[in-house]
Amino acid sequence: MSNNIATVLSRQDTWRGRSQRLPRRAITTGHNSLDLLLHGGWPISALTELMPQQFGIGELSLLLPTLKYYADNNQLCVWLDPPHQPYAPRLASANIALDKLLVVRSKNYIEWLWAAEQSIRSGALLLAWTKQPSSRYADLRKLQLAAADSGNAAFLFSTPSALSAPSPATMRLELRSLKVNQLLLTVRKQRGVAGGARLELSLGETNTQRTDLALLPADRHRTYPIQQLNN
Amino acid sequence: MLKLDKKSARSDIWLYLHFPLLPLETLLPKIQVEQAQKPIAIMSLQKNIQRVLCCNAQAEAWGVEANLSISTALALCPELEVLPRQIDQEQQLLQQLALVAYSFSPVVILNDTNVWLEISGCQQLFKGYDQLLQELANRLCSQSVTVVNGIGQNPTAARLLCKSEFETQLPNQAEIRHRLLNTEIRFLKSNRKQQQSFKQLGLNTLGDLLALPRSALSRRFDSELMLTIAQLNNEKPFIAPYFHPANTFHDLIQNPQGIFNKESLLFPMKMLLQRLCQYLMARQCHCREVEWCFEPLIGGSQTMQIQLSSSQNNWSTLLMLSRLQLERLELPRSIEKVILSADQFIEAPMGTFNLDLFDNQKNAQQSHELIDSLNARLGINALSQPILNQDYLPEQASTLVAPGKHSSTVPGEQVKTSQPLWLLSAPAPVQMRNQQLYWRQPLSIISGPERLCGNWWQSEQQRDYYIASDSKGARYWLFRETSSQRWFVHGLFS
Repeated sequence: MSNNIATVLSRQDTWRGRSQRLPRRAITTGHNSLDLLLHGGWPISALTELMPQQFGIGELSLLLPTLKYYADNNQLCVWLDPPHQPYAPRLASANIALDKLLVVRSKNYIEWLWAAEQSIRSGALLLAWTKQPSSRYADLRKLQLAAADSGNAAFLFSTPSALSAPSPATMRLELRSLKVNQLLLTVRKQRGVAGGARLELSLGETNTQRTDLALLPADRHRTYPIQQLNN
Repeated sequence: MLKLDKKSARSDIWLYLHFPLLPLETLLPKIQVEQAQKPIAIMSLQKNIQRVLCCNAQAEAWGVEANLSISTALALCPELEVLPRQIDQEQQLLQQLALVAYSFSPVVILNDTNVWLEISGCQQLFKGYDQLLQELANRLCSQSVTVVNGIGQNPTAARLLCKSEFETQLPNQAEIRHRLLNTEIRFLKSNRKQQQSFKQLGLNTLGDLLALPRSALSRRFDSELMLTIAQLNNEKPFIAPYFHPANTFHDLIQNPQGIFNKESLLFPMKMLLQRLCQYLMARQCHCREVEWCFEPLIGGSQTMQIQLSSSQNNWSTLLMLSRLQLERLELPRSIEKVILSADQFIEAPMGTFNLDLFDNQKNAQQSHELIDSLNARLGINALSQPILNQDYLPEQASTLVAPGKHSSTVPGEQVKTSQPLWLLSAPAPVQMRNQQLYWRQPLSIISGPERLCGNWWQSEQQRDYYIASDSKGARYWLFRETSSQRWFVHGLFS
């Protein structure tokens, strides 16, 4: 009996009235201000739901340090149903071992769910994109439990429309872009803390340098007038 | 000195394994249970007469025995079921039994019906001969065959000393010699004329024969018998090629009634995988790929390949992966034959100690297992890994390949310009609306261009790459093809 209680208490999703926040392990996000917002970093042994307003605003570059951390640790990083093809030169320049990345395409929702759970339980870092507008609560809870059991971080990308539905994810973050390279993160759910905290995060300097067309290598498809060359 | 004596005194111990009911036991798994309860005899053609080769206990109760002609046997027992001998399948079973013997000793000799093995070097491994013999008897019995053995100092003697049961206590040297000398001479392989000579000479046991001077014997008997005598006295070696496991594995289980659902397929599959692992263990290697073939009675067969990202010799893992893949497979309605074959092996890594302090091996192992199970369930086309190629055009610089085909990563050169994380599978054309670029929403250029030329040897491509953003702050990777002046979106920054 006491053994059962110990098992229940050791679970991440058991809420205890006394403690404000359970001590939990996290991995750094690579951004100090974000670490502060998330109380240490991305929670591990937990499912994190990221809800970017649209793809392309910098949601994936937030996870590059985490990907590198897992790949360096010889663990597989599974990309389940990514919206596009990952671009290898960019990942290589972030020093992520490409042979640790695995892109998985599922044919239907059952396969998607199976592959997601299997990946989490096999000690891989999961980055999953959902095709459906909102996944079922019970299914996501399955993934959350798998993450809690295996001690791995798992990330789920969904659309902000999923916010209206409850989610078993430990953390839910809404991502909006203010302008180029400026993200506004809103914590919608975080265990032990009231949601609603916001952070403006700069993802680096925006390069606005325009190159003069004349300075580019010669255009092969254009015939330059001879007089111009003589000048 | 004493040690040396002991060593020189140690002689070979040969074990002769005889399978008296092999022709019958080859066919037993393939016939129905009710039928197996009836008297059965296996027949073979001997000198143009069909004779009983062996029969089961039920037939023996009717008085049927080996070497009876079929007509006599049928007269004795009218219900007798007579089955023809299946030599090919018998040989296959014998190979399997030799493989079992091979896992006990590297010195195994296989002839058409029997197996010999030399066990004097294997005492240490099995902590004594008696344990070895007991274990061997158990392993052979688990193959559901009847086996009897003989123990001698050479293969010829072991054959002569074959008993009617499996002996699991090793007799000492003197005992073996004593038994040999007391063996009746009629068991010696000889022709009728020689047997008559033995009788005339008053020889009853082998001891009588061996006591005679060799020169006198050689005048009376032919060289073949002299060779046998020399072999019995350890004077001449018994020359036969040693058994080695085949280079490829191919095994099948037949079920004439047909298997109708996938669940019942798992049992024969498990048996075949266990045989495969026995084979792998005997050859000390691992396999990387196995192929299943399911053959129906009528119609085409269905094959299924299981590929492993790391080598394996564990049947339960292979069964789990086969099971996952089987779920996706469209099978014929009824399956008669299940065939397992494997022909790609790699040497088993020596030692399985894990000295890595941080247990990196475990992670790698887990990754391999994950890739294998995803592969088995989702299919080979569902998985891919990005790789980096030395090419200027982005769609060729970054491609997806099947996992495991990864060559060593090209050292990531630091790129000066920013590059996107997503690449569209094909560049999407951008429209021009009111002098503004438009793809899903209006785009405005932030920086660029950067000129890329590639493929000058085939269709020349020259592109100016720009970075653009939309009103919400998402960034896009655009290019303008200089030849056609058209705009495309090629990637997304994320």
